[in-house]
Amino acid sequence: MAITRRGFVGTCASVGLTLGFRAPVLANATGLASFDPNVFLSITPDDVVTVWVTKLEMGQGVRTLLPMLIAEELEAEWSRLRVEQAWPGGKFKGLELHTSGSSSAGEHYLPLRQAGAAAREMLVGAAAEHWKVDIASCRAERGVVHHLPSNRRLRFGELAARAARQPVPKTPRLKPPAEFTLIGRPTRRVDGRSIVTGAARYGLDVTVPGMLFATIERAPTLGGRLVRFDPAAALRVPGVREVRAVTAGVHPGVAVLADDTWSAQQGRAALMIEWAPGPGTPFDSDRFLASLPAALAGRQFKVRHEGDATTALSSSVQRIGATYTFPFQAHAPLETQSCTADVRGDRAELWVSTQTDVRTLQQAARVTGLAEDRITLHPMLVGGGFGRRLFADFVAEAVQLSRDSAKPVQLLWTRQDEIRHGYFQPATIERFEAGLSHDGTLTALVHLSSASDLTIYDIHEGRNIWTDSPKPAKADNAYAEDETPWGAFDTPYEFPTLRVDCVDVTSPVPCGPWRAVEYPSTVFGRESFLDEVAHATKRDPIDFRLALLPADVRAVGARLIDRRRLRAVLETVRERSGWETPLAHSATRWWGRGVAANVYHAGSYLAMVAEVSVARDFSDLRVHRIVTAVDCGVALNPLGITGQTESGITWGLSATLFGKMDFQGGAPVQSSYRDFRVMTIDRMPTVETVILPSDAAPKGFGEHPVPTVAPAVANAVYAACGRRIRDLPITPEKLVE
Amino acid sequence: MIPLDLSVNRRRRRLAVDPEMPLLWVLRDHLGLFGTKFGCGIGACGACTVHLDGGAIRSCTLPVSAAVGHEITTIEGLSADGGHACQRAWLEEDVAQCGFCQPGMIMEAAALLRSTPEPSDEVIDQVFASHICRCGTYCRLRAAVHRAASLSGSR
Repeated sequence: MAITRRGFVGTCASVGLTLGFRAPVLANATGLASFDPNVFLSITPDDVVTVWVTKLEMGQGVRTLLPMLIAEELEAEWSRLRVEQAWPGGKFKGLELHTSGSSSAGEHYLPLRQAGAAAREMLVGAAAEHWKVDIASCRAERGVVHHLPSNRRLRFGELAARAARQPVPKTPRLKPPAEFTLIGRPTRRVDGRSIVTGAARYGLDVTVPGMLFATIERAPTLGGRLVRFDPAAALRVPGVREVRAVTAGVHPGVAVLADDTWSAQQGRAALMIEWAPGPGTPFDSDRFLASLPAALAGRQFKVRHEGDATTALSSSVQRIGATYTFPFQAHAPLETQSCTADVRGDRAELWVSTQTDVRTLQQAARVTGLAEDRITLHPMLVGGGFGRRLFADFVAEAVQLSRDSAKPVQLLWTRQDEIRHGYFQPATIERFEAGLSHDGTLTALVHLSSASDLTIYDIHEGRNIWTDSPKPAKADNAYAEDETPWGAFDTPYEFPTLRVDCVDVTSPVPCGPWRAVEYPSTVFGRESFLDEVAHATKRDPIDFRLALLPADVRAVGARLIDRRRLRAVLETVRERSGWETPLAHSATRWWGRGVAANVYHAGSYLAMVAEVSVARDFSDLRVHRIVTAVDCGVALNPLGITGQTESGITWGLSATLFGKMDFQGGAPVQSSYRDFRVMTIDRMPTVETVILPSDAAPKGFGEHPVPTVAPAVANAVYAACGRRIRDLPITPEKLVE
Repeated sequence: MIPLDLSVNRRRRRLAVDPEMPLLWVLRDHLGLFGTKFGCGIGACGACTVHLDGGAIRSCTLPVSAAVGHEITTIEGLSADGGHACQRAWLEEDVAQCGFCQPGMIMEAAALLRSTPEPSDEVIDQVFASHICRCGTYCRLRAAVHRAASLSGSR
């Protein structure tokens, strides 16, 4: 098969995409001549349009959304599209599949439309040339090019070979949004059928001939060391083949490799291991949480200063202050970590559910010493990412076991492993103080935030966070330059004077990104405190926020926050939630509503009202209804946006009502869904979502609904029964206090 | 080991495995039926739900020996063509996000509708309270069970 390549650098610079352009087209192995205008799509003479998804699907709907962008401009027939997962390397070399930070939608909005539009213009050009007619008299629609005056038509498949010989348009025409037929239409996910029939393949759903099944017992305490182990009893378990020390992951461990999963787990139970307690051993998370207020007296880093808030606060007539704490949280995705690795001499093959091809390949290369292009990664469907699969510690473990045993190895983390040995959302504290004038007008807002290093980044780079000497101190402007902490730096409200600072807190708990990262704790504090000030000054919490939001576009660092959009979602949620109509208390329960709002990376705008009831004996809190108004730019797939809103609310409610990861004696306390409780259907409120029409650039929506849930619920609890919640989760004991 | 005779998706299977091995691992590791998922290993999440004689059970805690003599149905055997009312309803309501828990949810729903053709919200909440979906598809899950009930009823 002879393929010549013409250099073609697409207009996709925003995501660094290089569109490899291929032409002319010759018969390939299947006897079909295909039109492959770029790495994202291919059209064969049988009219199949194949789209390669260059991000990773974990439930956020990217396998549906990215093909929509291409198909919209290509004018392909949506129901006949074939969607395939891209892989790192090969024809996708130079593209990163790494998927995080709700970035896929925004980053691909223009490039993928351009890719589709370029292909469409080549198809139309080929048809016009064939018919010898003016190109302007031809139009593409649903997989066919029409010549309108003569009513002739050619299918995309019939045009594939000719289209490949067309010149590549440098600036293909993109549709104005008013002409969209697919973008903006509620579209069901393309891989739904494979999921409901059990055919979808996740990390563990692969068999490699001759592979051993592995499980690892890891150090029970933070930073613990392996002293010695006796494999004899484990090796006597039928089916157990090998017992090996593992050093490549975050925690040292002892692996049992067996003929099947059950034998491996039986062997693990029989292991005799002596551990040395690690430097993290005395760590107690409740003591740590209690020490956080004192930690705020440490070195303060400037985050954002506007005017002289310190003086304004000290000269104010009245001051209000409060602190809010957010505990450690686990990701607890339903699919535990797993990796199937086959390391053979000068090459390796991996099957992984991952959010990151980049770190997966880095880890495999580090452990094997192979160049990354000798490693083949098969990205599997992800059974829940939420940030946990942005690091590849479990890949390193599996690769080491395959390397050492010279056999293919399938490593599975149990649920206990998943909850105990992951990395965690750091526990944080937020302190707020407001200065008020005689008439209750705000004169100053002072916010002291805390930030914990997401040490999984350091661990990934080879640093031992428990034994290595401390990292060099941060520069004074480190936070301000990074525009962090999110939710603290980019508060959208206008205060007469504002001072946001940040203090570093450290713990031996490995911490890493968790859905919405810093926003959940900062927004819990900020939106709860605004509620406190509103009530203290006898103002309606929505009116109070609107009064702090001029109808303008505000530059905050490098961000432009369009406060008109935040005003609009607040006004919408006020109307749609029935905010003006108070909820009546019943004989047994108090009822109330609470509001919270946020701007996510200056790109999406959200306001949320929660409706709760609290039993009059404080034994029970129920969240009944959550109404959300969102403006996330052009609503690419409304069905995806409402789905992610439901998802983010559920995630937020898990943290609000139940979520707390504890450590005692340097060891994680929780180890299952029984003690690390998450939301279930019987606690699920009614969820209503209003999507505001917008022609702004689209912003992904996987994370944004999370941070407002806790403050909206906590504010509703206050409205219902006058109990102010300042630390999470909202357990019944906290209602009684 | 004495071979065990199983009936899985209406096929006879003879296997020499530890009789204490949970059915889940027999299905996955020995029969290559990957649609049934491992989520917790203690019956707390429902991802491993299959049918035993038409009733929903947790395969991660059921020793395979206890399944001998019973008809085992997994998501792969629920319908020949993905056309079970629950599967159709799940697609129409666009329930799945990551999808990992959904085979277990669908098997639970199929068993529920056999015994309770028109379940109320309260019954659905009660039955599914022991299933975990970390993506939070509960709203659509509830709608899909109702839709499946009406699809089954109209047949």
